[in-house]
Amino acid sequence: MIRAAVCVILLIVIWMIASDSYKKLPGFYKDVIRIGVFSDSYWDVQNGYSYKILEDAIAQFEEQNPGVRVEYVSGIIKDDYSEWLSEQIMKGDAPDVFFVLGEYFNDFVEAGVLKELTPFIEGDQNFFPDRYYTSAYEYGNYEGIQYALPYECAPKLMFVNKSILEREGLAMPDDQWTWEDFYKICSEVTKDTDGNGTIDQFGTVGYTWEDAFDSNGVILFDERGKECYLTDKKARNAISFIGKMGELNKRYSVSSKEFAMGNVAFQPMLFSEYRAYKSYPLSIKKYSGFEWDCLTMPAGPEGRNISRLDTLTLAMSESTVHSRKAWELMKFLTGDEKIQSEIFSYSEGVPVLKEVVESGENQKVFSGDSDTGNVLSLSMLSDAVEQAVVVPRFHDYDSAIAEVDRAVRNILEGSSNVNMETIIQNRNINNYLKTKQ
Amino acid sequence: MDKERFPKYVLGMMKNLNMVIILYLAIVTVHSLSGYIFEHSAMDFLMKVKRMPMEPWKLPVISIGLYLCLLLLLSIPCKSKTNFLFKTIIELGIVFAISYALNFSYTGMVFLIIAETMSYFSDMKQRIILVASIFVVYMLMDYNLLSAKYPIISMETCWAYYNRETQSLLLGLRNILNSLNMIIFISYTIVLILAEEKEKERILGLNERLNTANQELKLANKKLEEYARESEKTAETRERNRLAREIHDTLGHSLTGIITGIDACVMLVDIAPEATKEQLKAIANVARQGVKDVRRSVKALRPDALETLDLKSALIQMIEETKNSTGVQIIYQIEGKLKNFNKDEENIVYRIIQESITNAIRHGNANKIKIRIDREFNMLKIHVEDNGVGCDNIQKGFGLHHMEERLNMLNGSLSYCGENGFIIDAKIPIRWGTEEKND
Repeated sequence: MIRAAVCVILLIVIWMIASDSYKKLPGFYKDVIRIGVFSDSYWDVQNGYSYKILEDAIAQFEEQNPGVRVEYVSGIIKDDYSEWLSEQIMKGDAPDVFFVLGEYFNDFVEAGVLKELTPFIEGDQNFFPDRYYTSAYEYGNYEGIQYALPYECAPKLMFVNKSILEREGLAMPDDQWTWEDFYKICSEVTKDTDGNGTIDQFGTVGYTWEDAFDSNGVILFDERGKECYLTDKKARNAISFIGKMGELNKRYSVSSKEFAMGNVAFQPMLFSEYRAYKSYPLSIKKYSGFEWDCLTMPAGPEGRNISRLDTLTLAMSESTVHSRKAWELMKFLTGDEKIQSEIFSYSEGVPVLKEVVESGENQKVFSGDSDTGNVLSLSMLSDAVEQAVVVPRFHDYDSAIAEVDRAVRNILEGSSNVNMETIIQNRNINNYLKTKQ
Repeated sequence: MDKERFPKYVLGMMKNLNMVIILYLAIVTVHSLSGYIFEHSAMDFLMKVKRMPMEPWKLPVISIGLYLCLLLLLSIPCKSKTNFLFKTIIELGIVFAISYALNFSYTGMVFLIIAETMSYFSDMKQRIILVASIFVVYMLMDYNLLSAKYPIISMETCWAYYNRETQSLLLGLRNILNSLNMIIFISYTIVLILAEEKEKERILGLNERLNTANQELKLANKKLEEYARESEKTAETRERNRLAREIHDTLGHSLTGIITGIDACVMLVDIAPEATKEQLKAIANVARQGVKDVRRSVKALRPDALETLDLKSALIQMIEETKNSTGVQIIYQIEGKLKNFNKDEENIVYRIIQESITNAIRHGNANKIKIRIDREFNMLKIHVEDNGVGCDNIQKGFGLHHMEERLNMLNGSLSYCGENGFIIDAKIPIRWGTEEKND
């Protein structure tokens, strides 16, 4: 009997250790929420405001929730952040709430590190998913389950060298422009201006097949990344378009340096870069000598003026013992209007709340950035974000994309029929996807 | 080493070895996991295994803790089979949990349960069914099988932290320990079966001895029966002899007297008719005495009083009748009810009293007899004393000898003394006892 009792007690203790419920016991409990964050900007722009928004948020959150303390470890740079986070997780010391870099979201979900948010979302009457941009909100979704809330995002936009267009007597396209307009402008500006026999003014740099796919409504993979749809008509049209654009440059490989020097009419960039360089004095440093602005991406015949969205999300640790408070903190960071509007002031991304982006107040802050006439209106930005393509999320997405990239290059360089080549390449990619998983 | 305890030693060895294996796996795994963290490749590891590993410090604590639970459970004795089955299921659950903690890299603890089950169930059929079902569970707890359906970190992936050579050594050692466990388990099985065979042989031997003893007993019984039959015959012969003596003593004596008397009368009848008359009177007396004696003898032969009355009443009746017919003064004292004797015993007690009275009157010419029957502890004591001539040189005639023989059959004893009158003391052990005591 004594042995059985000892056995039962031992089992209970082990269960408490294994399930982490011992952390809720008086001697072990700490009423501190830890948040994992990196010191520099997600958008690779040094702006000197590393923890400004977070600290403001913590101060307000602690004020609203007396007795709760929020802590973070400072000084971890973005490049080291995911490794640091992984180490904390493996040590069983994961922060209760942490930022998840877009490229690692899938991996963390698959490793079971992130807590499912569905019960919190459903159990919270003060939480309204439709306040967020759909695309940004969807970013935290993996196979139908919400694992993260968006914190800030940035769509891809087309940077335009207005000086070239003016010089060539071309009108600035509007935000409904198409591939046709794009191609027409590019073909007109591509020329040898100084007459030395080599082309020195170009239409575009950095416009990739991915951009063309996104704006032509191509769905490249299925949800789990097990099948590739390269043979889709939309994809083939996009590839042909890229081929056509490439031929304009007559095999001259254009670098993004040419855009900085004012020799290229268009370059796709993230909105964050627009924010970073549009403001004085950074703009002088990088793009001096020409006027420039932003546009939506040109729409393909089967698509719209949309691009992809990069989003920084906030997730909860699977092992947290403060899930209620952690959820409140997540909600506060992503859903508080004041905190979100600080993103316009102290970061380069776009707030994830529609109401914040579209409010008149921020319109002023935003206009203050611009030194000349502002083509990019907030409503256009809002639309671009709302309709943005959500980057598919499955394991090893990067290598799958590299495969597609190689395939597209082969198709474009191949002399044979595009359709035939596409079928062959698609089969190769599918084979690759099969071996990978 | 005591051979009977040998399987237990082997089982103990197995328990210790399993502890070593679990510790070994836990420590190496913890070291490799900590290594990943230390070398800043936690991210790569996490992305590779796609599962959160257990916190390093928890792994040995939980696996050893669970193993201790298992040992505790194994040591709890079970009375019923249902309890045992219930316990076995919990044990399997714990083994599953330990294996889970160790990423199913080791499941050899199952053999401990199998070993326990084998020693608990001696019935071959039940044993085979149970062991087979546990084996099925064991086979299902396979990393490759489970990892197809559930995300499990393979031990090899964890240990991939080490360079190839170290990894091979570590895995090799694990395999050696695993094999060792199997070897010990197999030895245990063999030892157990051998021990059981020995036990079976021992039981078989005992059985044989029992059979032999049984046979001997039967033989003895038969002999006893024969002896009983013989002794019955002897008793019959003796009874016949007694009858002969009785006839000779009584009828013979009377008839001789009568014949002699009548012969004298034949000669006297003409010479002295008066004397002849007297003589005939005397002869008639002898004849009457003879008839009396014959009657008494016949009565003595057939104590039918016992058939209808209980022992005490029969004795009293017999004594009273004797008193009346012979005019001898008989004082008797019977204590207790004299119940619960079987027929033989009642007969013997009755005969002893009757014989003693007869002897006292016939051979001792006594006119006063004292009889006392009482109990002392578990003995029935009979004491008969007379005031007759006694006997200086006691010759065991039919009577005494017969008495002694009968008493011996009941493990009783007889003593007598003929110096002053004649005294007989008989002791008969009482076999039933309890009811007599309660009276």
